[in-house]
Amino acid sequence: MPTQAATRNHAHLKEQPERQLLRHKVLAYGGFDFPFMLIVTVLLCLGLVMMFSASYVYAIRHHNGDAYYFIKRQLIFAVLGFAAMLLISKLNLNLLRKLAIPVLMVAFLLLVVVLFYHTDIRGFRRWIPLFGWTIQPSEIAKVALILFFAFAMEKYQRPLYNRHAKDNRGFLRRFFAQWGCTLLYMGILLAMVVLIFLENHVSGTIITLAIGALLIFIGEQRIPLWCYLLIAGVAVGAVLLVFHNPDILPEHAAKRIMAFKDPASDPSGSNWQSTQSLLAVGSGGWFGQGFGNSIQKHLYLPEPMNDFVFAIVCEELGFLGAFCIVLLFIALVWRGFMIALHTKERFGTLLVIGIVLQIGLQTALNIGVVTAVLPNTGIPLPFFSYGGTALLILLAEMGIVLAVSRVSREIKK
Amino acid sequence: MAKRKLTSSDRLLVRAMIVLFAVVFGLFGYDLVRGLVNVQLVHGREYAAKAENGQLRDTEVAASRGSIYDTNMTPIAQSTTAGKVYINPNSFSKIPNKEALLQELCDQLAPILGITSEKVRSQASHTENNYMVLKGQVELETMQLVNAFRNRECILEVVPGGKPRTKGGQPLLDADGNLRKGDDNDKFSTYANFIGVDPDVKRYYPLKSFAANLLGFTGAEDVGLAGLEKYYNKELTGTPGRIVTAKNAADSNLNIQYESIYDPIPGNSLVLTIDEVIQRYLERSLQQAQIDANAKAAYGIIMDVKTGAILAMSCAPSYDPGNYEAIADEATKAKIAAIADPAEREAARKNAMMAQWRNGTIELTYEPGSVFKTITVAAALEEGVVDMSERYTCTGSITIAGRTISCHNRSGHGNQSLTQGLMNSCNPFMINIGQKMGVERFYKYFTAFGFTEPTGIDLLNEFSPTTGINIHAQSRMGLVELASCSFGQSFEASPIQILSAVSAIANGGKLMQPYVVAKVLDEAGRVISETQPTVRRQVVSGETAKLVCGMMEQVVSNGTGKNGYVAGGRVAGKTGTSQKLSAGKGYVASFCSFAPADAPEVAMLIAIDEPVGLINGGQIAAPPSAEIMENVLVYKNIELRYTEKEQEELGGSAPDMSDLTIAAAKQSLTGQGYSVRVIGDGEQVLHQIPEPGQSISKGGLVILYTEGSDTSKTVTVPDLTKISISEANKTAANAGLNIKLTGNFQSSSLVTYRQSIAPGEKVPPGTAITVHFVSNNGIIDR
Repeated sequence: MPTQAATRNHAHLKEQPERQLLRHKVLAYGGFDFPFMLIVTVLLCLGLVMMFSASYVYAIRHHNGDAYYFIKRQLIFAVLGFAAMLLISKLNLNLLRKLAIPVLMVAFLLLVVVLFYHTDIRGFRRWIPLFGWTIQPSEIAKVALILFFAFAMEKYQRPLYNRHAKDNRGFLRRFFAQWGCTLLYMGILLAMVVLIFLENHVSGTIITLAIGALLIFIGEQRIPLWCYLLIAGVAVGAVLLVFHNPDILPEHAAKRIMAFKDPASDPSGSNWQSTQSLLAVGSGGWFGQGFGNSIQKHLYLPEPMNDFVFAIVCEELGFLGAFCIVLLFIALVWRGFMIALHTKERFGTLLVIGIVLQIGLQTALNIGVVTAVLPNTGIPLPFFSYGGTALLILLAEMGIVLAVSRVSREIKK
Repeated sequence: MAKRKLTSSDRLLVRAMIVLFAVVFGLFGYDLVRGLVNVQLVHGREYAAKAENGQLRDTEVAASRGSIYDTNMTPIAQSTTAGKVYINPNSFSKIPNKEALLQELCDQLAPILGITSEKVRSQASHTENNYMVLKGQVELETMQLVNAFRNRECILEVVPGGKPRTKGGQPLLDADGNLRKGDDNDKFSTYANFIGVDPDVKRYYPLKSFAANLLGFTGAEDVGLAGLEKYYNKELTGTPGRIVTAKNAADSNLNIQYESIYDPIPGNSLVLTIDEVIQRYLERSLQQAQIDANAKAAYGIIMDVKTGAILAMSCAPSYDPGNYEAIADEATKAKIAAIADPAEREAARKNAMMAQWRNGTIELTYEPGSVFKTITVAAALEEGVVDMSERYTCTGSITIAGRTISCHNRSGHGNQSLTQGLMNSCNPFMINIGQKMGVERFYKYFTAFGFTEPTGIDLLNEFSPTTGINIHAQSRMGLVELASCSFGQSFEASPIQILSAVSAIANGGKLMQPYVVAKVLDEAGRVISETQPTVRRQVVSGETAKLVCGMMEQVVSNGTGKNGYVAGGRVAGKTGTSQKLSAGKGYVASFCSFAPADAPEVAMLIAIDEPVGLINGGQIAAPPSAEIMENVLVYKNIELRYTEKEQEELGGSAPDMSDLTIAAAKQSLTGQGYSVRVIGDGEQVLHQIPEPGQSISKGGLVILYTEGSDTSKTVTVPDLTKISISEANKTAANAGLNIKLTGNFQSSSLVTYRQSIAPGEKVPPGTAITVHFVSNNGIIDR
C-alpha cells in the first residue's frame, strides 16, 4: 500500500541500504493523530497558565518574592517534555517493544533503591535525589508496567495450551501453559504495588493497581469475565474495609480517610486542605471569580500548585471553566481509546489504553479529591499540578500515544 | 456491518469499551455531579459566603458627624479626626511569646490609652476575631504616642541560647537608651504586628459647657446619647464608609485589586436658633443667680416671641459635654466625695450625673404660681367675664366651697383695679375671676394655652402632662381646684410650656410652637430643610393680648416685677413664687417677661428651683432677668426709649472741656451739676475722662488731666453692693469713679444688686462702673 510515508521515503532512496534499514527500524512513519495532539497541547497550555496563577502567591511567600519560582521550573520541563513527546512520537513501535523489559527492570531497581535512598520529606520514601532534582520511581514504574503489559500481552496473546488438542502433559505443566502469563502479570503487578506501598505512597499504589488490573482485564482474555467480577467484588470489599477501619493503613493515609468521613473532626488539621479546597471550588459558582482572582490561593489553600490546583481552577473559571477542562480530559481519554482500538498491533492498543487510562484515573480521582467526594489521596492532576518529572514522563507518554497513532489504521480518512 | 473500522479483536474491544464507559460515565460523571455541580452550583453560595468570612476584612470608616452651629454659624459641636486603636487577637494568639507581650501591653500601652489592664486582657482574649477595639476616639497627640509604641521592637519568640545583641561590639540600645531585650536567636518584630490604628472621629464642644443641657453629648461610638445630639442623631450621623479588603491567610492585605472602598457620607449639620451671645448672657446671669439664691438649680429660656425660635436655653448647674461623666458642679462634687460608703457614693455620683444631663427647661415641672395669673386674666378678658374696669376688694383671704384660701398679703390688698390685682399678684382677685369664668371656660383656655399637651419643641424627653397626675381632668375639676388653678397652683407645667403660653400673650394671642433647629445643612453647607415658624393656634384676640401686655408692663414698672425693669426697655412681666406642693417642700421663684411691651420681640422665663433665703420671684428671678433683658435688647438693636425722668437720671454725654483752662472747665462743669477732679498741676485741660460725648450720669465725676499728670495712675474699685443709690454715688465719687445705673433705679428702697467691675480691681480714674439696682419694696408675691 503506497502510504504517504513510503512516498516521502523517495527522498532517501539514495541512502545506504543499511542506514535505510536502521531508519525503518527506529522511526515510525505516517502522520500522528492531530486531534489528540491538539488536546494535549491545549491541556498543557491551560495547565501551565493555571498552575502559574495558582502558585505565584505561594511562590512570593515561600521563595523570596519570586513569583515565577514554580512556573519557571515547570516551563523548563514542559519544553523538554514537549520536545521528548515529539521525539518519541517518531519512534518505531519495535523500539518500544525492545525497551519494555529493560525499562521494567530499571523501574523495579529504582523502586527498591528508593526504599533505601530517598529524600527526607515527612516520612515519605517517594523521591530519589539526583543532581539537585528528584526522580519519582513510582511514575517510571507506571510507564514500565504499561509498557511491559502491552509487550507481554501481545507476545503471549495466544494460549500456550490448546484445550481442544489432546495433551497428556502433567497437570502443573498444563496449568502453567494455561495460566502462566496471567500469574506472571499478577505477580509483577503485585510486586510493584507492594514496593510502591512501601514507599508510603497510597495514591501511587491505588493508581498502579487500578491500571494494572484494568490492563489485565482488557488484555488478558484467558480469564473469563466472572473472575473479574469476583475480583472486583473483593476489591470493593477491601475498599469498604479500609474505609471503615482506616487504622490498617499508614498513619497519614488513615488520617485523611478519617477526615473525609468526618469533615468536622479536625477542620484545621488534616482536613484543612479539603475544607479550603471546598471553599475555593464553591466560591467559583457558575462563572468563577475571573482568571487570576482566586482568593483562596492567598495562603488559605496550602500548596495550591500541587494536588489542589484544580480547586483554584474551579474558583477562577467557575463551573463552566472546570466543566470544559473535564470535557477536555474526557476527550483525551476518548480519543486515546479510539487510537488504541484502531491499531492493528495489539502492543500499541494496550500501550495507549494503559496510558490514557492512567491519565483518566488520575484526573478523575484528583477532581474527586478536590471536590471532597473522595478521600484526600494526594494524586496530582495531569498537565496542571506542579511537578517536573511527572510532567516530563506524562509528555513522554503522550509521545508514545502519538507514535502508536502513526500506525493506527486510523480514524484518519 | 458493512464497514468495520475498528481493528481490535472483539473481546478486547468489548472490554476496552466497558472500561472506557466506566471511567467516563462512572468516575468523571461521579466527579461532575457529586463534586462540581453539587459544590459549585448547589452549595456554591454557602461556600462562597464561608470563604468570604475568612477572606475579607471589612473595616468601617466612621462618617464624620455633622456639626452644630448657633444661628450665626458659630460652631458649638464639631467632630474632628481621631484614632481607633485595636488589637488583632487572632494573630496575637499565634505568637509564642504572647504572655510576656500581653504583660507589656498592659504595662505600656494601657497607660497611654488610659484603659485598664483588664480591658486589654479581655479584648486580647477574643482569639477568634481579627479586630477588637482597645480604645476609640483617641486624640491625635495620644495617637502619636501609640504609633511610636507600635513601631517599637518586640520579641515574638524567645529561642534559648544565642548571644546578647550587639552592634559593632556595643550593646544595642533602643530609642529610649534602654538595653534591648533578647538575644540574637530570638525572633523580633514590632508591636504593629498585632496592634493597629484606624481613623475615627471625636466630638468636640469648643464652647465647653455652653448650652450643654440643650446639646446633649455623644458616646463612645459617636452616637448621640442625650439632648439634640440624640434627638437629631439620625440627621447628624452620616453613612459610615467601608473598606473591604481581602486578606491572605497570614493576615496581611492583598494587593489593591481586592479592595473596595465605599466613601463615608458625612452627616448633616444643624443650625440652631440659639444665639451664642444671648446664650452667654443667659448662662452668665443664670449661674450667678443660682449661686446667689443657694438654689438647687436654675432654668432659663429666651424665645423669639414672633416665631417661637429659642434664642437661648440654659440650666444651672450644667456640665461639659466633652467630659460628660464628670460632675461639673463643685458643691455637688464635694457633697458626693463626703459620702463614706463607696456604694452609696457611687449611687449618688450616678444620680448627680443623670441629673446634670437633664434639660430642666423642658423636662422638669413645677407649679407655675403667680405667673399663671396672666393667663387667667387673659382668659377672663377674652371671655368678657371681666373688663378693665373690674374692681375687687382683697381682705386677705377668700372662701370657696367652704375652703378658705388666703392671699400672700394676709392683711389684704384692699380695693384694686384689675391691673392693680395683677401688679399685686393678688390671689383672691384671681380666684374671684376664675370662679366667675367657671370650670368649662377656664379649662378651655387652660387647654388653649397649651397646659394639657407638650409644646412640640424639637427636643427629647419633653414633659407631657398626664391628666390626673400633673393636671386636673376637666371632669374632676371642682370649684376648689378651679380656685387653686386660677392662681397657678395644684397643677404642673414645664418651663417651656409656661414661656410659650406667656409668649402667646406677647404675640398677639398666637401660640407658637417653640423650636431650636433653624436649618439642616448637608455636608457641603447647602440647606436641606429650614424650619418654618408654626402657629399652633390663636388663643386670645390681639386686643385682649394687648391689654394684658399693658398690664404686665405695669407689673414691671410698679408692681411685684419691678426688679425686672430695664430703663427704656418697656419690659412686661409677671413674677411667680410657687410652692412645690407635689414635692412637699421648697419653692420655685420665677419671672416671665417680654419686651418691648408695645411690640414684643423676646420673651424670657427664669425659674429658680428651691432657693434658700430669699424665695420670691421678684427678689431673685427678676433681677437676673433684667440684667439679661437689657443685654439682649441692646444686642438685638431694639431701641431703648427712655422716659424724661430716666433720661435725667441717666445723665447725658460729657461736655467737651478740651482747650479750656482748668478754672474755666471747673466752673462750667460745676454749673452743669457735675463734680470735678483735677489731676496734675498745669493750667490747661489736656485730657478728660469721660471723654467728650461719652455718657455720664447725673452729678457724675469728670476727671481733668493737665500737664505733668500721670495718666497711668489707677484707682481701686470699691464695693458697691447692698447699698442705696446715693451711697453708691458717694462711694464711687470718693474713689474717683463714675457709676452707670441700670435696673430699677427709680423705685424706692433700692439696693445695688451687682456691679460690672469687681471690688478691688484697679481701673483708671473716672471709669464708669455699671451698677445694677434692685428694689426691695412691694415685690413680695408670697
